[in-house]
Amino acid sequence: MATRAIFLPESASMPSATFAPITEVNARKVIRFDAATAWTCYWTGIAPVGLTGALTVVGHYMMASATTGKVDFTVAVEAVTPGDSTDLDAGTSFATVNTITAPTVPGTAGYLGSFTCTLTNDDSMAAGDYFRIALTRDATDGTNDTASGDCYVVAVEFKDAA
Amino acid sequence: MAVLAEGARATLWADLMRRMSAIGEPVSITKAELRNVVNAADDWVNANAASYNAALPQPGRSALSVAAKRAILVFVINKRNEDDL
Repeated sequence: MATRAIFLPESASMPSATFAPITEVNARKVIRFDAATAWTCYWTGIAPVGLTGALTVVGHYMMASATTGKVDFTVAVEAVTPGDSTDLDAGTSFATVNTITAPTVPGTAGYLGSFTCTLTNDDSMAAGDYFRIALTRDATDGTNDTASGDCYVVAVEFKDAA
Repeated sequence: MAVLAEGARATLWADLMRRMSAIGEPVSITKAELRNVVNAADDWVNANAASYNAALPQPGRSALSVAAKRAILVFVINKRNEDDL
């Protein structure tokens, strides 16, 4: 798999409600995901030339306080080709969310962990598309999101099968 | 007085996790287990409210409002845990 884009907290954008804010921890910019409410953030890109095969997202995170349990996320894709009948200033057009196998969090808060999401539902993304990915912590899933406290996402990789 | 309503307990639990995150307090139990502790603490407060009130000397016990007596208990507990949560 090849990394096609790296998304950092500084370049994230937010929905108007239940958004995961950018904050700073130990001089590191992070996206803060609450433990009790499903918060979301977005990253935007242009699908690169040569995009091929299965697309995946790898999220890198640390827990603020939890040393046990699992953390669960979903990723949704919105891909718009020039000429599509999608009104960008009036709404969103995300495809069905993609789920992950929720990882067990690191045994020490602050240690780096990661999760991988295969973008099975990629909204038919093609090279040249304007796209967004929506990352949401599935905080209300009592089975798969059991780690207490905030989850700080520090970076997200966007990969294809090249 | 009854125990806190479900919504109030949920809000308290969420605020507690945010507070623990903000100060980096390690938490080695799950969200659900922490919620059980919150519920049990509220149950205990409710079950022992009369006992607490009976322990207060007069004239304070009669002169102070319920809210004031509750606040005093909160202040005492916070002082005893000044360096913690």
